[in-house]
Amino acid sequence: MDYILQGFKEAIKLIFSLDKEVINIVSLSIIVSTSATILASLISIPLAVYFGIKKFKGKRLFSRITYTLMSIPSVIVGLVVAILLSRRGPLGYLDLLYTKKAMIIAQTLLVIPLVFGLTYGLTKSRGDLIEKVAFTLGANRWDTIILIIRELKIDILVNIATAFSRAISEVGAVMIVGGNIKGYTRVITTTISMMNSMGDYPMAIALGIILLIISFVIHSLIYSYSQED
Amino acid sequence: MKKISLLLLAFLLIITTVACSPKTETPDSPDLVQEESPDVEPQEEPVEPKGTIILSTTTSTQDSGLLDFLLPIFTEETGIEVKTIAVGTGKALQMGRDGEADVLLVHAKADELTFVEEGHGTERRDVMYNDFILVGPVDDPLNLKADHPNNILEGLKVIANEEVTFVSRGDDSGTHKKELSIWKAASIEPAGDWYLEAGAGMGDVLKIASEKQGYTITDRATYLSMRDTLDLDIIIEGDENLFNQYGVIPVNPNKNSNINGEGAIEFMNWITSQRGQDLIKEYGVEEYGQPLFIPNAE
Amino acid sequence: MEIKINNLEKYYDSRKVLDIDSLTIEKGKITGITGPNGCGKTTLLNIIAGLDKDYKGSITYDGLALNRQVADKMTLVFQKPYLFKRTVYENIEYPLKLRGMNKSEIRPRILDILKRLEIENLMEKKAHLLSGGESQKVALARALVFNPELLLLDEPTSNIDPEAIEILEREILRFNQETGGTVIIVTHNLEQSRRLGHRIIEM
Repeated sequence: MDYILQGFKEAIKLIFSLDKEVINIVSLSIIVSTSATILASLISIPLAVYFGIKKFKGKRLFSRITYTLMSIPSVIVGLVVAILLSRRGPLGYLDLLYTKKAMIIAQTLLVIPLVFGLTYGLTKSRGDLIEKVAFTLGANRWDTIILIIRELKIDILVNIATAFSRAISEVGAVMIVGGNIKGYTRVITTTISMMNSMGDYPMAIALGIILLIISFVIHSLIYSYSQED
Repeated sequence: MKKISLLLLAFLLIITTVACSPKTETPDSPDLVQEESPDVEPQEEPVEPKGTIILSTTTSTQDSGLLDFLLPIFTEETGIEVKTIAVGTGKALQMGRDGEADVLLVHAKADELTFVEEGHGTERRDVMYNDFILVGPVDDPLNLKADHPNNILEGLKVIANEEVTFVSRGDDSGTHKKELSIWKAASIEPAGDWYLEAGAGMGDVLKIASEKQGYTITDRATYLSMRDTLDLDIIIEGDENLFNQYGVIPVNPNKNSNINGEGAIEFMNWITSQRGQDLIKEYGVEEYGQPLFIPNAE
Repeated sequence: MEIKINNLEKYYDSRKVLDIDSLTIEKGKITGITGPNGCGKTTLLNIIAGLDKDYKGSITYDGLALNRQVADKMTLVFQKPYLFKRTVYENIEYPLKLRGMNKSEIRPRILDILKRLEIENLMEKKAHLLSGGESQKVALARALVFNPELLLLDEPTSNIDPEAIEILEREILRFNQETGGTVIIVTHNLEQSRRLGHRIIEM
């Protein structure tokens, strides 16, 4: 049991001494997952609102497929991206496997269904009324999509935060397409996984604590913002 | 829709119940079980199950497929089930210190001896060795294959001087330690943009080296088993510095009451016996034309 | 201008909720529609406004089928208005911005409509936090500000204090008289349809 306590002590020391490796790892995690979340949001939020208010045949089946994809395992996304990007794969000429870009691509693909599904569900339940009002005031479809995003922005922000949390806490995809290369593609989760297999707990615990703090800060910010409104 | 879903659910429930029932109903139908193999030649009396041991070992023995070949035979012959936990040597030794494993099969001789000296293990025996190789891009840009086919120290010097991509395990595993000891023997401290520390298993490191068209040191077994998916060739081999000794250590049973000391000793005896050693020598010959591990127990 | 309705039928699942053989609504007049709950008043308004396209029969507006261009000439104020989560000013500004007006044109129009409805003091308030009567005034202001040809009102004064009702009715009448705009008002209050309507349709 001693090593657990010892691990915690050394972890706290690592965090407060602003250990250079810890800082590198944490900032890479934040850069990769933030880029992925922003990309995924730009792509999927307008589309989700569009499909949320649109009436079309097979919408029920569409909803069900969407909600299934929301929980797609990260290793599957990682696997698919790795196959596509590997030197022998169809996109191998891009030379992207085991780079930051590959990690951003994989996490973007991972959270696109999540942002899409959450925003689509939100729009389906709350967008109808807004769409009607927009229509009576003369808005076209694009105006309507912008208006709905603005009206539901708090909930959409919560969706984005959820997606970011998923991205920064997943290990399967970044491990497969990033390779956990020190100083290049090593992020919080891959380090924790590696440190555990090396039996080096302090660093793993320190990064675990930081991961929780990041989640806490983001959700606190969103919460206080929504209270303000 | 709801009705259909309900029906489906009910259907699934019935299936599971039916599928599970034979197991729960065996007391009712003992004859049926007997009838299934009444005329089969009486086989060797199956060995009484003797519990389970936890084997903590390195990823290389697992990835090479050796354990998948050996362990079922061991279980059949001794009745002992083996749960394998494949981790780096560092973690494997740590699991031994924490009393979370019963027996270790690892390859970092110096650390192993310390482990036994400190009383964490009862004894250590040689089991087998495998050899490491330097692999690299097929076109071998540094021309190492021609210049230093059997001299790893010279090879590494050229790589470091030319700052060509080299992928290291970087995970504190036995292979990683081996690699570091070879760098040390070559009096080089590898660092810089060209030296990538992957912090991953051998398979992943080989893939990274293949993607980045860099060099890496790997055990022969893992390389041979993945050869077809990699764009890498063997560049340097056969240097004594590249040999790698495996040892078996039963964990000290005094650590806690959960440790299966007897099972651990039986495993050690079996794997170092003539039978175990022959099997090790046999493994890999059929598929790769050469054994992956050379048995050398005394 | 006139709205002509022929053989209009509307079903929810298999239940018929609306059945109008023939109806003409005249331009420049205020038409009150009354009737018991569930007789399809609101449904009719939604169909005319272009919000509900799932019906049988024909509706023409100045001889034109209902399309986007036609819909732009009219607006609908809902029984429970939905105001955007922005200031009152920004709510009323929205339809003008959609019509590409510039800021210098927009501001006097908004100030004028706020004054008429006696809600200048609410200008910078967050619209979604207002009371029922205040909300309904803002919703009417947002509808009147772009001078629609046709104003559709769905129970605009239910659950509102008498003072607010007076202001709303006054401005509905003034809109009709000053701009010649057509009004269709659905109300279960017969008194109100008599006060406002040139013509009353019982459904």
